Amino acid sequence: MATPFKYVGRSYPPPDASSKVSGALVYGSDLRLSGMLYAQLVLSPHAHATVGSIDTSKALSVPGVVGVYSCRNAPSTRYCRYRIVPGQPGCIDDETLFAATVRFVGDRVAAVVASSLEAATTAARLIEVMYTELPPVLSADAALEPGAALVHPGGNLVHEFDHATGALAAMPPGTVTTFTAVRTQMLHHAAIEPHTCLADFDASGKLTIWSPCQSVYGARTVVADLLGLPYNRVRVVKVPTGGSFGGKQEFILEPVTAYLAMQTGRPVSLTLDREECIRATMVRPEQRSVIRSTVRADGVLLDLEIETLLAAGAYASSSPDYAEAMAHKLTRLYRVRRYRHRGRVAYTTAPVAGGMRGWGAPDIATCAEIHMDQIARQLGMDPLDIRLRNLVHPGDIDPVTGHSVGEARVRQCLERGAEAFGWRDRAAVPPGFGRIRKAVGLACGAHKNGMLSDEFPESNTMTLKMNEDGSLDLNASIHEVGAGTVVTLKIIIAEELDVAPEIISAREADSETSPFDFGCFGSRMTYVCGANGRALAAKLRDQLIEAAAELLGVSPGILEAANGRVQRIGGTGPGLSYPQIVQGSRMHHGRDMIVTHTYIGTSNPGSYSVQFAEVEVDVLTGLTRVTQMLTAIDIGRAINREMVEGQCRGAIQAGIGSALCEEVVIDSTGRAGAGGFKSYHLVNAADMPPVTVLLVEHDGDDGPYGAKSVGEIATVPTAAAVVNAVNRALGTFMTTLPLTPERIVAALDETAEFGGRSASCA
Amino acid sequence: MRLSAVVNGAAVSLDIAPDARLIDVLRNALALTGTKEGCAEGECGACTVVIDGLAINACLMLAAQIQGKSVLTVEGLSRAGETNALQKRFVELGAIQCGFCTPGMLMSATALLARSGTPSDDEVRRALAGNLCRCTGYAAIIEAVAAAADEGGVAT
Repeated sequence: MATPFKYVGRSYPPPDASSKVSGALVYGSDLRLSGMLYAQLVLSPHAHATVGSIDTSKALSVPGVVGVYSCRNAPSTRYCRYRIVPGQPGCIDDETLFAATVRFVGDRVAAVVASSLEAATTAARLIEVMYTELPPVLSADAALEPGAALVHPGGNLVHEFDHATGALAAMPPGTVTTFTAVRTQMLHHAAIEPHTCLADFDASGKLTIWSPCQSVYGARTVVADLLGLPYNRVRVVKVPTGGSFGGKQEFILEPVTAYLAMQTGRPVSLTLDREECIRATMVRPEQRSVIRSTVRADGVLLDLEIETLLAAGAYASSSPDYAEAMAHKLTRLYRVRRYRHRGRVAYTTAPVAGGMRGWGAPDIATCAEIHMDQIARQLGMDPLDIRLRNLVHPGDIDPVTGHSVGEARVRQCLERGAEAFGWRDRAAVPPGFGRIRKAVGLACGAHKNGMLSDEFPESNTMTLKMNEDGSLDLNASIHEVGAGTVVTLKIIIAEELDVAPEIISAREADSETSPFDFGCFGSRMTYVCGANGRALAAKLRDQLIEAAAELLGVSPGILEAANGRVQRIGGTGPGLSYPQIVQGSRMHHGRDMIVTHTYIGTSNPGSYSVQFAEVEVDVLTGLTRVTQMLTAIDIGRAINREMVEGQCRGAIQAGIGSALCEEVVIDSTGRAGAGGFKSYHLVNAADMPPVTVLLVEHDGDDGPYGAKSVGEIATVPTAAAVVNAVNRALGTFMTTLPLTPERIVAALDETAEFGGRSASCA
Repeated sequence: MRLSAVVNGAAVSLDIAPDARLIDVLRNALALTGTKEGCAEGECGACTVVIDGLAINACLMLAAQIQGKSVLTVEGLSRAGETNALQKRFVELGAIQCGFCTPGMLMSATALLARSGTPSDDEVRRALAGNLCRCTGYAAIIEAVAAAADEGGVAT
């Protein structure tokens, strides 16, 4: 394909790929500092209890133990693990370093610090804690019942909202009303790297934290506020992240590790094991949404009314914002005459819910897209047609946010995807009558590009410097979580300056030296930070042209930059290479080639993905195999083609898991059943189906070269596409995820075809 | 106890606790931190090493069990700082995202290619079935292993 770009749109490995294949890259848990101590947490075995006496005598007598900390000797200051900036709305200070009342199995009760991990672990087992158990509150429903035990003194209702837009017109005859209740489950992020943090409080009184986090400034805010340190005495250094998917975006280990380092005056390393990661970090929230829609006989959506109930778990963290985000997705996807979304968020004595890839978008898309299939079935329409009738068009205004959906190409995604997948033909094939039933399903999803809203601005600041040899240093708060952010920025800057990406150096975030940035979330890296990268490079290019004009004694208006040189427009005359300009400007004019730019976001268009799934379901065992997936994604522009496709495939791996097998189940005592990957199943290489990725590219949005977000939107419709395919294969209408073999067999037992088979076997 | 073994081609002899896990001896005593710990129960495969030709989870093995054996870790794949064909294909074909599963993937693939020069797609998938990846969706990893096999695998 002919492309006007020299670097944009090709494929590049991450800059640290070579050190990843050689084993040389140092991740957080690989760091070793002189005099470093190891911490081990003591976690609550109860879902809800008050902490009585804590006997630490045996633990303290273990050789190598330096200290034991708990609510008995640590401050009880309350904080919010989710706060990025001071004054951030929606943050509830309800968590402490160590709990005096434990609120979930996994709540932090104590920490042991010792000279070896073995000593810390041994001592942690010897701490004797007396608990007085309180009644657990294990679901959001139970939490809001009258008389429910209070998880926090202020009541179990954390947050509620009621957003309505549009007005009900008179319903024409023939309208159809449809109800669906869909429940999505607690999920573990399952980054292969467990949570880890290292902190050191040095003799000068400066705290340094090394963390694979998604926001160094956020970690700084939470830790400095909690420990009473000035912001410039807390330095947070981003270290390589072995996967996050949102799991490391809130500040779970940083506060406690920093506190332990301050108390001991030595570097302290804390790394969780998998069981602790599953139980004691955070999960995607469990939520249930009831959707009621009214559609015209021809399938046009008139009214959409949704009620969402979301379990925050033991601490509010990001759940209020997460639930609100769910109300900001569907009106970017479908034209609806009237939309009302009511939501309630409740504390429970369950694992803490937090942000996860897609931030509410996969959750609500799963509900809505299962619902759309139900409408289609009721009207006797093809699921493709009902969506085509209602999807947004480019330039539509999202009535909830008031923002334009931009160059929304979701219709194109659906049409191109359907054609490539062969939807019409395959959807017409009956699932068969044998033991293996086969069918296809589809779903659409919408997400965003950055966090710009009426309540929240979007911005990013970066500095770019050109050295005398023409090499470049980018100074920005970059958080690479494995999605290729560093190389994306290099490609964008390289394209704008017309230099090779390899000559650009870009370090990751360090709150002491890099300019402020919110961090890596909200699908804002490419759209917002990438747009700033482009603007920044253009500013440096202008500076190079002006400096060259000064050196050449000509007007800058007759010069242009190309191929790493500044020359007369049209290419006449010798011109000056970038190194000649940098050297000449410094020697003759004392001028440095360095620019800083702050980009202020002014738009937040929709990102879109449409996915198609083919499944085979064994009606005897209830086992489902996904045999093919196709994703069509409205990417705007792929900056790094291979990474975009890799993001799409990884997102589908996680989405299939959420549809079929992944769930953090808690039992009637609040204990999570899954203590590891033995019982929390991820889709592996053998089970992963082939995935076709179609990229819909176009200009028209404000991202760099038209680029939009990919990492989050890529997982939004996956679960719904798979669930819809399974329901089409079996003639069932399952709405509780994941569709485990047990649930599938139970649903089949309710059908006319299989009803009573259990009885006949008995 | 005294442990004598060959690690990445070099003889090592060191005192270890009899109950020390192989992964801890590799990462701490031998400072070979390329071997990663993701689950400590043999489910994720991030700690995979090759012992006498077999891909093994280092988190499930005692260090004492490698007495007299030859262990290959990810650090042993490069020769004189030069990555081998398998590592190169991982870099070139998009098999690397966060990189935390990468050492284990490489070691499982190394064991596969050592026993089967021309593995089928299905064989590659099964050889990597014990290595979890949350980033890539596996396709690029499988492609990289197949590409390395086409070039004659890896000499180890």
